[in-house]
Amino acid sequence: MLECRNLVVNYESTPVLQNLSIYIDSGEIVALTGPSGAGKTTLLRCIAGLEIINAGSIWLNGDEITTRPAHLRRIGLVFQDNQLFPHLNVAENIAYSLKIHRVSKKLIDDKVAEVLDLVDLAHLADREVVRLSGGEAKRIAVARALVAQPEVLLLDEPLNGLDKELHARLLEDLGKLLRLRGTTTLHVTHDQDEAAKMADRVLDIRQLLS
Amino acid sequence: MTSAYRHTTKWLAIAPIALMLVFVLVPVLNIFSTSLRLDSFAILSATTTRNIVWFTTWQAFISTAIVLVIASPIAAVIANFKFIGRRALISLVSVPFILPTVVVGAAFLELLPRSIHRSALAIIIAHVYFNVGLAVRIISSRWQQIHPQLDDAARTLGASTIRTFLTITLPLLKKSFISAGLLVFLMCFTSYGVVRILGGPARSTIETEIYFRAMQLGDVSGALVLSILQLVVVGILIFLITNIGKAKASPKFGQTVYSRMHHPRSSRQKLLVATVAITTAVAVVTPLMSVLHRSIYLGQRFDTSAWRSVLVDTEIFSSLLTSLRYAIFSIVVSSIVGLLGASAIVYGSSRYQFVNLITSIPIVLSAVTLGLGLIITFDVNPIDWRGSWLMMPIAHCLVAIPIVIRIISPVLRDLPNDLRDASRTLGATTWQMWRTIDLRIITPALITAAAIACAISLGEFGASSFLVRRNNETLPLTISRLLSRPGDSIQAQAYAISTLLIVVCIGIIAIVDYRDSNERGI
Repeated sequence: MLECRNLVVNYESTPVLQNLSIYIDSGEIVALTGPSGAGKTTLLRCIAGLEIINAGSIWLNGDEITTRPAHLRRIGLVFQDNQLFPHLNVAENIAYSLKIHRVSKKLIDDKVAEVLDLVDLAHLADREVVRLSGGEAKRIAVARALVAQPEVLLLDEPLNGLDKELHARLLEDLGKLLRLRGTTTLHVTHDQDEAAKMADRVLDIRQLLS
Repeated sequence: MTSAYRHTTKWLAIAPIALMLVFVLVPVLNIFSTSLRLDSFAILSATTTRNIVWFTTWQAFISTAIVLVIASPIAAVIANFKFIGRRALISLVSVPFILPTVVVGAAFLELLPRSIHRSALAIIIAHVYFNVGLAVRIISSRWQQIHPQLDDAARTLGASTIRTFLTITLPLLKKSFISAGLLVFLMCFTSYGVVRILGGPARSTIETEIYFRAMQLGDVSGALVLSILQLVVVGILIFLITNIGKAKASPKFGQTVYSRMHHPRSSRQKLLVATVAITTAVAVVTPLMSVLHRSIYLGQRFDTSAWRSVLVDTEIFSSLLTSLRYAIFSIVVSSIVGLLGASAIVYGSSRYQFVNLITSIPIVLSAVTLGLGLIITFDVNPIDWRGSWLMMPIAHCLVAIPIVIRIISPVLRDLPNDLRDASRTLGATTWQMWRTIDLRIITPALITAAAIACAISLGEFGASSFLVRRNNETLPLTISRLLSRPGDSIQAQAYAISTLLIVVCIGIIAIVDYRDSNERGI
């Protein structure tokens, strides 16, 4: 369960989020829509621990995590531009969080293979990430976030910029994958159709501000 | 590439090729064919030579290691934080690199205690001072090309700040550290002015030994053997520097500079920024102030006689005018020939890459060897140009042109062809297209290149040491001559001239950085 209570974020003196509150149940997939510049990405960055909030609190499974550093939150984030590490290959990108947590080599290999199978890209394990197509890079970015077994997965317009056919296919695959694993998900998108197909519940960020 | 320019490439290439052929290739081939004797290679096994090679290598290695250690926190602060005076700090840290080497030598001669004059330590300190700015610029510009969300991604995957730095930032910066390290090593390995001033007769590097053998011992053949040795090392270093960016499986960086920078948030960050900025500013300014101080104090007494003599002493005033005249010559000739060379390389087919190769020779060849080649080749009829005033400014241009080409050609290469096509479809002739598109867009780079050519000419010491005549002494040569003479008041004159050159170099950096920041809109 993830809850944000009365979040306030200002950039210098410009208000970005004003008294925003949101609640997401365990295993629930919530889509968050709204116009550009409304603060959707900022909200995700606050939840992930990448932005400093001016007021309010964030709770995860009953614990307050407002001041907890990003690396200790167990909240995954899939960036709009994927942000795959360019100096690591596909398998090394996916293994990154497991190595950080000092998981044994054998277990890392098993988990990487498992998650690559899950996203149908087992044959690309050794490929340089700069040589991936847009769709492949997106799947790897999701796989990298999922292998860390986050309590909550945040998706920041993950299907933006993909062609129509690939968009439809990835949307279906991603929905199936998240439900299969029961991952609590907050999915930011400006595409109403995508939000409706993917999520259990669709929220407009403007409704969350009080 | 635009076919409209392709037909003109051969004309563009004529001037740079002719200049390099006549004043670099012919002299170098001439001295190697006429003056090099095989028995001179025996000096390579002599203990003195081995000691010189060993000293050249280890002082360059130690200097490079210290430069990288000092440059890292400065580059980190410049690449990651916004703060008042950031641009000034970038400019300030770059000042030592364009200072004439003799001025840097003079500064440390004044600043360091007499007990470490003529020591390896003094040379290493001056080399570190001279090269930190170069390393900071290379590392910080690469750091700014690392997308800040890569750090964020690592943190959401469980990496702490230190772990993120070690596993993401550092590996992505590795090549810039290697590039900076190799370049700094190259600068220290071939250093001449600093070693001449601070090393004295006790400490020689290969470059100063080439000068000593040729000019003091008259052993030109021995000097050429050392020159070949240096050429091999420099050639290997340049090959490595050029190929680092091309290595397979390396993360690709574009020209994009990301907005990594933020105001320091925590008190720890504020302390880091303040400490690095203040320490750097003090470290850069202190030697410069010591030069000014030495020029206006004789012992403990305030005395402006050194400054008066700069204007009154006919010899000093004459070298001031000579330096100015040569700088103007170098600005004009290097900019024009450099622009032609860069255009031939970028507009021409792959065949024209040899222009790139031939104009790189002065970089590989040390300035001292270049000077030696010119003096020996052009001293016999019918081409006895040794007495001509033109030889020294031409040597300055030969050193500056490769740098000018390397400043202009990336800008020319990055210019989208669509802009030229658009201009042509709007009715522009080839000349109008070049003038209104290419020239307009490369003008800032051309101004930067001209400013650097000016700095190179004002500070050039290696080739000039060979080519100096009774009436054409430049300011660095005058400084070196005055410093070698006894007497506080005479030496104060050297420091007054050094102060003048420092002011000019700060002005040049200000022009370059002002134009650069305007270009990037920061």
